[in-house]
Amino acid sequence: MDDQRMQEQAMQQEDILTMEQEQSGQEQDRSGPEEKGGQRREKRRRKNAAGDVSGFAAQDGEGQTQEKGGRKQTVRRRHRHTGLSILHFLQHVALVTAAVLIVTVLSGSYFVHYTDKGVESYSLIGEDRDAPFEESTLFNRLLGKSVSDVICYGAIRSQMETDAAFNPQKEIDVTAFAGRYGELPGEYVTARYYLDDLLKWGQAGLEYEEVYMTGDEVNRFLSFGRTVTKVDPQGQSGSFKYLNSDLSGATQVVDVSGNLLNPEENIRDDVQETILKNRYRTVDGKKLEEHVSTWNDYHMLCENLSSTVRDLAVNYNNYLSYRDRFDGGNSNIVYFISKTINGKTEIYSNLERRTGSEAQLKKELMDRCGRYVLYDASAMEFETNTMIEEATLRYLFNGYEYAYPQDTRIMIGVDTGYGAEDVFTMARARFGDFVPWMWQYLAGGIACILIWLLLLAVLTMKEGRVRRKDTGEIVTGLCPEDYIPTEVMAVAGIALLWGMFYGISAAVNRFWQSVEGGFLVALAGVSALLVSLIFSFFYYSFVRRIRGGVLWRESILRRMGRSLGKWMLYAFEHSTVLIRVWVPLGGFVLVNAGLVLFTAYMFVDHRETGLWLLPLLLLLALDGGVGYIMYRSALARERILEGIRLIRGGNLSHKVGEDGLYGEDLDLAKAVNSIGESVRTAVETSMKDERMKADLITNVSHDIKTPLTSIINYVNLIKRENVKDPKIREYIEVLDAKSQRLKQLTDDLVEASKISSGNIVLQWEKINLVELLNQTIGEFSQKFEEKALYPVLRGPKGSVFIEADSRRIWRVIENLFNNVVKYAMPGTRVYIDLGLWEDEQKQPLVMLSVKNISAQPLKVSAQELTERFIRGDESRTTEGSGLGLSIAKNLTQAQRGEFEIVVDGDLFKVNLMFPLMEK
Amino acid sequence: MTNILVCDDDKEIVDAIEIYLMQEGYRVFRACDGEQAIQVLKEQNIQLLIIDIMMPRLDGIHATLKIREYSSIPIIFLSARSEDTDKILGLNIGADDYVTKPFNPLELVARVKSNLRRYTQLGNLNVENNALFSVGGLCINDDTKEVTVDGESVRLTPIEYNILLLLVKNKGKVFSIDQIYENIWNEEAIGADNTVAVHIRHIREKIEINPREPRYLKVVWGVGYKIEKQ
Repeated sequence: MDDQRMQEQAMQQEDILTMEQEQSGQEQDRSGPEEKGGQRREKRRRKNAAGDVSGFAAQDGEGQTQEKGGRKQTVRRRHRHTGLSILHFLQHVALVTAAVLIVTVLSGSYFVHYTDKGVESYSLIGEDRDAPFEESTLFNRLLGKSVSDVICYGAIRSQMETDAAFNPQKEIDVTAFAGRYGELPGEYVTARYYLDDLLKWGQAGLEYEEVYMTGDEVNRFLSFGRTVTKVDPQGQSGSFKYLNSDLSGATQVVDVSGNLLNPEENIRDDVQETILKNRYRTVDGKKLEEHVSTWNDYHMLCENLSSTVRDLAVNYNNYLSYRDRFDGGNSNIVYFISKTINGKTEIYSNLERRTGSEAQLKKELMDRCGRYVLYDASAMEFETNTMIEEATLRYLFNGYEYAYPQDTRIMIGVDTGYGAEDVFTMARARFGDFVPWMWQYLAGGIACILIWLLLLAVLTMKEGRVRRKDTGEIVTGLCPEDYIPTEVMAVAGIALLWGMFYGISAAVNRFWQSVEGGFLVALAGVSALLVSLIFSFFYYSFVRRIRGGVLWRESILRRMGRSLGKWMLYAFEHSTVLIRVWVPLGGFVLVNAGLVLFTAYMFVDHRETGLWLLPLLLLLALDGGVGYIMYRSALARERILEGIRLIRGGNLSHKVGEDGLYGEDLDLAKAVNSIGESVRTAVETSMKDERMKADLITNVSHDIKTPLTSIINYVNLIKRENVKDPKIREYIEVLDAKSQRLKQLTDDLVEASKISSGNIVLQWEKINLVELLNQTIGEFSQKFEEKALYPVLRGPKGSVFIEADSRRIWRVIENLFNNVVKYAMPGTRVYIDLGLWEDEQKQPLVMLSVKNISAQPLKVSAQELTERFIRGDESRTTEGSGLGLSIAKNLTQAQRGEFEIVVDGDLFKVNLMFPLMEK
Repeated sequence: MTNILVCDDDKEIVDAIEIYLMQEGYRVFRACDGEQAIQVLKEQNIQLLIIDIMMPRLDGIHATLKIREYSSIPIIFLSARSEDTDKILGLNIGADDYVTKPFNPLELVARVKSNLRRYTQLGNLNVENNALFSVGGLCINDDTKEVTVDGESVRLTPIEYNILLLLVKNKGKVFSIDQIYENIWNEEAIGADNTVAVHIRHIREKIEINPREPRYLKVVWGVGYKIEKQ
């Protein structure tokens, strides 16, 4: 039951499809004339078929099976197949889903962390989905980073703090600070400043000025002694660095000014020097230059000061940032750094408990932190439950060796309660969101792609196949877009898809890692939908084209090829003309150009000798010759044209003179002469035939007339015999009437044949039409009265003159009036109108019209009425030969008039037009 | 007794003509070709000849030419040839009248009578009278207001008489309808209608044997009317 209903629906669906044979489309318009007849028949048949309710008529089948061999069958469709539409929809869904899933995977596979120093991103690919976050690479990398930060923080704290508190009055030895990465030399020149002075100096910037100093001024500027700091290890071992050892006892400041030169003896040169402005004084209230006695020392000290100020400024920023992060409760990192220099232990930590045994501290740390790193530098002890390696840690320490002495212990842990909102918390959330589902997403995406490919294959197989309802054949259904030229479609498709991909990649570059994953996924979904729609629109169009065999047919290349072929064919067919026109022209142009160039060349080279005139003269002679030939040709053409005009004008015996004509012109002249001759012969033959016909009719009518005479005579004799029998009298009346009619007929026949054969001689006279009409009406007055017809003559009162043969014009009018008398309805008026007119050339005309109401309905057309033997009544029982109007028309035309019959219902009107004769 | 020779190769036509003519009291001789006709003319005293044109052995034209060499009797051509050229040829070589086949026997008889009268009576008539106008067989006596055609009196109305008199007085001149109107009615013709034409037709019907082929009062179509000079 259900199946049946489904089938019905499918049938209805197909009804919507309007199908027509492929050839009835554009193909037919381009077909050659020789096929047209057949195709038109085909089309008509198909049109009939289209009228059929089912969309296809049964008889159509036969025509198609015949065509089947040559071409694939295609039909034009308006709607897609429903079943396929669902598949198409599914395909779009599959692609969109795949895109969404894959982009979800891609965008979720990174953990992005924004810090003051820039963006750090960590890939989540390769994470073990079953392991906890703390064992992930991400966690360990973040931890490593944090460890590095803590170590750095510790070093900076050493620079700025005293007893674990920021000390603005901390004295900074600029030379030692500047050289903090290396070992301290045995003795060096330096200056000490307060930390806050240096930081403020760093904010304000160091200022220098260019000065010129004389020797005396230099004497006054630089000191005469130098203060040297000496480092004495005093038994301490290892390398001495800025902060990693207690040098307070080991350094001594030696003023060597005393044992140096006398100022008087020391003559310094005048110099041009760049000197630093002393914004702040050193710890002992001195200026920088007072610590040195030579320019070398001065510049080195300046350099060290500058470096220190710069580094401190940076470090101070980091210090604030780290302090906020680690000591401000904004981090899940717990750290404990203890360094002991010369028995003095300094502890940096965010643990509440700073003192206590190592075991206690360790316990507290391990209570809070699920993951930790413990390192004791002096004992070389390393303990961790993370992936951080000892080497890594040691390497990190090495970077800040100046700040960490041998006796350093460090404990760094991560509060796995994640109380603080920091990078670990965010990373953990992302990890939890993504890693466990990554493979599902990926698998889903790949599955969708596979579904998409499967659907692609299925649809590629199915697309365009339509079952004809009448024959059940599988044919190819083409959609409107399939008739767009193939190249246009291809270019449009490629351009659109390329544009889409370009746009998407631009969007990815623009938004990747800088926008939220959700937006990216939505973007991917929309893009995938667009791509899918565009792709399937073009792809399936091509599938249908290939299936229907119209890929090539609907292509521009083919059309171009066709027109090119036609053009080639034309060129081939008219090759002689083309060669004859273009080759000589080309040669002429080439020779001309060559001669012009040659002339120019000669003019340049032989201007004095006048030799250059030679090619010029040659050129002129050549052009003159060509001009003469063209002139001759034009003359010949003119002569031939004149001949054609004469022949067309009726001078059939004219001959075009063939003397002095050559080539084509001679051919043309001969052709014109022969055509003229043929036409003349034809006309003569036709005239002769017509005359012979007229003669024949005349002779026949003579032969008829003789026996007719006897008939009429004897009928008359019988009538005189006083026959009493009324029946016989009636018979005799019939005989009398019919024999009279036969007589009339033979006369009219002879006249008509004579007129139409042009066998009459006209005697032109000046005729007054008004007079003629009055005379005629007078002549017909009795007949009119008998039929109760009332002639009404309307027109100019005076005279209207035309040129005509008086007896022939009378015959015309007489025939018209006879016609009126015979066929007009009794009791009506007959209007005879005379009007003056003008034709297109402004020549004055006389128009005579005779109007009457026909007694019988007119069943023949106005055209037929003037043909011979045609009468308004088809029964032919009334009097008349049927030649009256024909004779009138022919006579009118013979007299340069026009004869026109207008039938409007029962109104019968004859219009005669003659050129008006000037008075 | 008037003798009439009828010459035609069609025996039945001769028979019919003979019947009509005998009824009118003429004596009829018969011939079936030109040679026979000449023979009969030589042997008998013939007053009028009716002769066909197309005949075997000697046709009507050649026969007439020969007859005219010695005789002036009225000759009426009887022919199926109805073209103008045939009529003109026939009349030019000596025929007095030309009747086309098929003819109305009564018309033929009337023409025979007319020709005989002119040959036997009017031909010799030569009266000096200013009031007497004649054209062929048509005579008008303006004194008595009498009109005769071949001796037979014709009754005309005053207007018809005046029109005919005007035309006869001016033989050969063509009068237009307006001119006739102005002359007869003595009024200016403003938009002359067909009155005159109707009168003319009536006159023709009265004086002509065959009004469609008038001998005296001729219509010049589109120009006017005239009495032919004879």
